[in-house]
Amino acid sequence: MKRKKIRISSVLSAAYWRQSLMTTETLRAVVDCLIPPDDFPGGYDAGVCDYIERIFQTDLAAQSEFFLAGIDGIEAEALERFNEPFANLTPDQQSSTLAALESGDVKTSWPISPSRFFEMLVNTTAEGYYSDPQQGGNRGGRSWAMTGFDEPS
Amino acid sequence: MNEYDAIIIGTGAAGGIVACVLAEAGKHVLLLERGAALSFADVGRDDLRNQRLAVYGHNAGPDVIGNPRVFVDPQGRSRIVKPYELDYHNNAACVGGGTRVYGAQAWRFHPDDFRMASKYGVPEGSSLADWPISYESLEPFYERAEWELGAAGDGASIQSEIPRKRNYPLPPVPPSPQTVALQSAARQLGWLTSPVPLLINTESYAGRPACIECKYCVGFACPTDAKNGTQNTVIPRALATGNCDLKTSVVAENIETDNRGKVSGVSYLVDSFGQPRRETARSKTVIVSAGAIETARLLLNSRSSLHPAGLGNEHDQVGRNLQGHLYPRAYGISPARVFNGIGPGVTIATIQFNHDNPGIIGGGMLADDFIKPPIDFWYDSLPPDLPRWGIENKRFMRENYTRVMHVRGPVQDIPNPEGRVTIDNTVRDKWGIPVARLSGTTHPATVAAADFMRERGEEWLRASGCETVWSTQPGLILSGRQHQAGTCRMGNDPRASVTDEWGRVHTHDNLFVVDGSLHVTNGGFNPVLTIMALAYRSAEYIASRV
Repeated sequence: MKRKKIRISSVLSAAYWRQSLMTTETLRAVVDCLIPPDDFPGGYDAGVCDYIERIFQTDLAAQSEFFLAGIDGIEAEALERFNEPFANLTPDQQSSTLAALESGDVKTSWPISPSRFFEMLVNTTAEGYYSDPQQGGNRGGRSWAMTGFDEPS
Repeated sequence: MNEYDAIIIGTGAAGGIVACVLAEAGKHVLLLERGAALSFADVGRDDLRNQRLAVYGHNAGPDVIGNPRVFVDPQGRSRIVKPYELDYHNNAACVGGGTRVYGAQAWRFHPDDFRMASKYGVPEGSSLADWPISYESLEPFYERAEWELGAAGDGASIQSEIPRKRNYPLPPVPPSPQTVALQSAARQLGWLTSPVPLLINTESYAGRPACIECKYCVGFACPTDAKNGTQNTVIPRALATGNCDLKTSVVAENIETDNRGKVSGVSYLVDSFGQPRRETARSKTVIVSAGAIETARLLLNSRSSLHPAGLGNEHDQVGRNLQGHLYPRAYGISPARVFNGIGPGVTIATIQFNHDNPGIIGGGMLADDFIKPPIDFWYDSLPPDLPRWGIENKRFMRENYTRVMHVRGPVQDIPNPEGRVTIDNTVRDKWGIPVARLSGTTHPATVAAADFMRERGEEWLRASGCETVWSTQPGLILSGRQHQAGTCRMGNDPRASVTDEWGRVHTHDNLFVVDGSLHVTNGGFNPVLTIMALAYRSAEYIASRV
């Protein structure tokens, strides 16, 4: 086996993530669609975006461009399907857009694999919601109270 | 002085015990460990990077950078794998080895596990064989491991299947609501149950405190040192004799032989400011206890003109029969809450199905499970037909985290020679040593047994009152992982085994293998207590001859 050449992928700075407002608003709406608020917080209020920002600057730094391309892809799908940014869609429109993406049913041209991106999106969102608050998400440990993991016996 | 009575490579379940027995017998021993001595804080409580859930890394070594392996999938495609990926088949690399972070299930193998070929015949394509020793010859050493390290359990509850002379030194873990449900279901089904034996201090033992029942047991280190690995039991005893030199963060590179082919010592690499420095220690006895994959790798890499295929490999047996366990898992939603937040969480097992199942070779043990942090539960335990996102997924986590019952267990692996460790000469670790290449799968008979056990798991949960039940279907994969075994099997025929019944390599009377590599078969149980019992047995033999 030949040793694979390691691709040096640019590590996006925190500043870039913050400046990328479109991405942030889209991502916020996406994580709230993936984990909607009820009487426990939705993905955004639970700090999922904070977690995602952190994981794509550390362990998943090499995949940050891939991830951003996927968020851009969601935005493009929303515009193509409903002529509106993803964040402006109704909850049903948002869910149907993501469900289509999950099943690989895309209406725009994707530079990356939509299903691979969607799996990474769902996994990192769950990690941001359910993992230890020290990971950067799960603000206040609310999901641990919600599941009962943290309740006294 | 760089000359020892014995050199032991590896500080895991076996190496730590061999060091203790030899050092306490007055032998001067060198104990080599490629990893570090890890404190509780070093291991940490990272719920995404541990031995149970390793999404981005792990917590007990080896380092993610510089320690690759090559994995060949069942379609024959090879790729470089990182230490925390499943296909790396990692155990830990630290003082104590896997026992630093294990779940500590302390099962003896069943007497029939030592005579699989006699009992079932040899299925085509498998290398199923009897052990050269019986359960009875290992029984005193099981007892010794249970008492010297400290095991908790109820011997009477499994006496009918696995006879023993003496009970466990510690009482079993207390029952949980899940235990009660599973126990009453088993009674209805007519199944035998027992508490799960654990190398955990349910009471203070040997000067160390009792378990505080925390929620981070398997995959993590114990906050009160109540989980008994070799790092907090036999290795400190070995060091206390003054006869044992422990060197950590050094990597054995080669087992040295003299010009007549006799083993003369070990060369190893020491990290010297980022550069490897080679040192050699001399000894008339070398014991390899590096785990089934690294032990095979070291023997295969110890090539010379007299041993062009590696040490002990005259008959192309080293590295073959790599096995572990398939783990069928069943889940059900209990009508009532079963989670009570009290760790470790594993409490009850059935060994009803380890043998004598119609149409099945072997079988396995089934037990409930350790507490899972919520993200581990999310990855592991959701029904396959549940959406992975959306309000339905969130509601499931909310309503059912405390109600999902878990049953799982290791299935006796039917070994075959094509599941194996070889050397990949094109990929090297950070020290320049060629790495292990893992290929093959288990035998289809293992998959059939695993499927049978999966159905038993579902049956148990339905009888426990769960209306919704699901399970995972094990496939035809390589099964090594943390229960890796079999790569230097013991036997009487030098053409079909690597060592004799004492772990002595057939071709070298002063070279021993003592670890899971020796297992001819790996039982339908967690293998660590058997590794420990074999280590006591071999160590006594070696001590009487060095």
